Amino acid sequence: MEIVIVVIIVAIVGYLIYQSLPNTKFEKAQNLFNVKDYVQAITVLNEIFEKHVDAPAKLAECKLNLGKQASAKPEKVNYFNEVVEIRKRISKSESITKFESIEAKALFEIALIQYEETKGDIDKLNQNIKFIDTVNKKGSESDFSSLKKKHFYDLADIHFKKATDKEKSDKLSEAIQIYNTGKDYAEKSDNNTVKNNSVTRIAICQLKRNDKINLDDFSEIGYSDKSYQKELYYRYAIQLLKNKEYTAAEKVISSNLNFQSADIDKLSEILKAEKNNNAVTKIEEINTLIEQLQKKSLSIEELKAFYDSLDKTINEVKILDIQVSEKISALKPTLFNRLLTQYISAEQFGNAISIIQKYPKFWESPELLKNLGICCYGYTSKGLLTERNYQTVISGWLTSVFSDKVILKSLDDTTWDDNYTFTLVEAIGSNYSQHEETPDNVNYDEISESNISIGATQKELLQQFETIIHKEIQDANLSKLVNDFYDKEKEALENVISVIEKDILFATPHFAKQNGFNNEIIEELDNDYHNYSNEEALEAGVPYIKNSNSTVVYQYFYASDLIDKVKTAINNENSIAIKNLNTKENKQWIEKFDSISELVEDKLFNSISNKISEDDENEKLIPVMEECILFSSQNAKLKHQYSNYVANYCISKVNENEMDNFKALSLMKGAYLRSPNNPKIVKNFITLIRFNLMDILNDRTRKMNEIYTILDWVKKNNMSQTYKQNSNELSTARREIIQQLKKAGADISLFDESSFSSLLSGHSLNSQGLKMKKVLTYLKELGNE
Amino acid sequence: MTNPYTILGVSQDADKAEIMKAQMLAMKKKEFALQEIAIAAKQLLDPAKRLAADFMFPAKIKVKRIQPIQSTLAHQEINVNALNENAFNSLK
Repeated sequence: MEIVIVVIIVAIVGYLIYQSLPNTKFEKAQNLFNVKDYVQAITVLNEIFEKHVDAPAKLAECKLNLGKQASAKPEKVNYFNEVVEIRKRISKSESITKFESIEAKALFEIALIQYEETKGDIDKLNQNIKFIDTVNKKGSESDFSSLKKKHFYDLADIHFKKATDKEKSDKLSEAIQIYNTGKDYAEKSDNNTVKNNSVTRIAICQLKRNDKINLDDFSEIGYSDKSYQKELYYRYAIQLLKNKEYTAAEKVISSNLNFQSADIDKLSEILKAEKNNNAVTKIEEINTLIEQLQKKSLSIEELKAFYDSLDKTINEVKILDIQVSEKISALKPTLFNRLLTQYISAEQFGNAISIIQKYPKFWESPELLKNLGICCYGYTSKGLLTERNYQTVISGWLTSVFSDKVILKSLDDTTWDDNYTFTLVEAIGSNYSQHEETPDNVNYDEISESNISIGATQKELLQQFETIIHKEIQDANLSKLVNDFYDKEKEALENVISVIEKDILFATPHFAKQNGFNNEIIEELDNDYHNYSNEEALEAGVPYIKNSNSTVVYQYFYASDLIDKVKTAINNENSIAIKNLNTKENKQWIEKFDSISELVEDKLFNSISNKISEDDENEKLIPVMEECILFSSQNAKLKHQYSNYVANYCISKVNENEMDNFKALSLMKGAYLRSPNNPKIVKNFITLIRFNLMDILNDRTRKMNEIYTILDWVKKNNMSQTYKQNSNELSTARREIIQQLKKAGADISLFDESSFSSLLSGHSLNSQGLKMKKVLTYLKELGNE
Repeated sequence: MTNPYTILGVSQDADKAEIMKAQMLAMKKKEFALQEIAIAAKQLLDPAKRLAADFMFPAKIKVKRIQPIQSTLAHQEINVNALNENAFNSLK
């Protein structure tokens, strides 16, 4: 019994001791915390405040939650402050660390309550921002950051409102300052409404102050309040009008004030009045210039400036008075003519060419085309051709002289020709039978002493020009460029003229492309091809291709270009490029045109020949030639060329010991494959077969298997008639070997594959003997035994 | 190449006799080399070549005689200051 009592007492004491342990108490507090009995938990935690490392933080958390649960703000603040106060009681650094995140949450709650009490007061907002900036925010940084942003957002709104009040009372500079401050807050808080509106209002204030402003840099304006935008642009338009910036004002009105309003109409009326006054001034100026022109007191430069100004004036006047603008338009040809005449008589041919080229569709006027020819001739004879301008000048000259309409025009201006008539029979600028309109003294009769050849005149002109470009260009490079270009342009033009029978303007390729009617010429050539299947027409059209790819001329060019690409690849020894060009589609393009497909083999053959003449022992050429044979549908010549080249190459290299017999055999297989009945190829191939078998026999090669592979290929239905006729070389070699074996006393029957005795004898050959047997068998099978 | 008309100093409608006379005159004047004068005369006496020389005279384009512009447009008074700058006041 006593023992029992002692045990019970010990148990009670033990229990009491256990209950008083810090961990046990903390566990109790945690359980109370979990059932939200924060008051009891606080009591327990206070008991172990310094004894348990987590107690201060848990105590703070209890008070934080009590604060959150409280309904009245003062009570809440008390609890949160009590949390903050806990820090003073903590002595252990570990406890501090755990406490800080709870403290930050309490501080955040305090800051939030303080924010709610600011109610638009700038000072209170700023104070709370300072509070936020200084307190511990550990673990609650993003909450604090969001809260601070709300302060900025509110500050932006408050400042904007304050600034509008200042603006209303005309305190514009102060208003601008406050708008700017508000804008800064708005930028920090993503308050786009205030940011955009502030920018617009600042601009309005500046306009009200008569500041000069430029709205180009402010994208925010477009997102601001529509009524602010209206005010801003209206005021801005007035400022521009006051500063006589009418074009800018018109742009602002048409872009930003395009709504119905009597006030906007007034702006438009001012603009219209200004345009009217401007037109009146311009007309006065034009009349003054006309007077000077009639008195011949205008210099060429003044005349040019007058001419150049007309287009702008015409456009400006058109909206006010269309009849007056037409009268001004009517001045243009006259001024142009005067200017051109003055340029030509002053020998300013470059300027003359320049204004002719700017004249709309000048090539349709025989007069202008003739004058262009005169200027191009004059420009060239004065030695002014350069690498930049020679194409324009030469193409202009040729197009002019090749136009028989231009020559006919020239006849109009002569008076000495009363006793003569002129014939177009040999004129060089047309292939058509009759011009629709010709002067009375022009016919298509035979040339005679009194019936002068217009063609002879054209040739005389060309000859004179050619004399200049052949003899008078000092710079050798330029001379070559000019003469090559002249020849190419002339030839292209002659080709087109020889094909087209229709009455069109014949221009050189450069001229046609430069002036945008090259496709009309190509169209005519396409028609000619469709009507007569005339591939010459397509060939003639190739130089006129610029950007269109839907014509037959272009298809012809494409096919022809494929051949050029293969030729380039030959030149560059690039067999891969040829392989890539060898597609079914490309071959179809080539086959479409007889004049191209018929010449493929010859063209490739010649390119390869040129390449061989540069180096007749170039192994890289072999795969190139193989690809060419595959590319060309007709290839007998190419095969012959290939086989001979390979044979010569192998013979030379083997004789000079620069190539082993196996490699030569491999290469010669290609030659034999392509020319199986060429005696030279076949004989050399057979010799190489013998060499390779001898190499096997004498252990001079490691390529035994590869050699037998080639020989098996020959045996397998690849022995041509010529091969069979020449293969006794192998039989002879076999006989000689057998003779030697006999002399050496060997049992020949052992080496005979078909010999029955070799099967029954029971003797067996060693490895060398087996090798001998195999060589002899191949010599037999590949020879003509 | 100098224009043969310029070398011989004759007009574009000169007849054969005038050209030959001009050739003699030019030879006396010696402004141009004898060979140049001979070539110029030969060129103007050959109708096809003369036509080539004529090519170098600019073609005249038919245009209307230039006249001063008559217009009913008259100067208008512009008064920007009369505009109501506050017409679109957005802070009313």
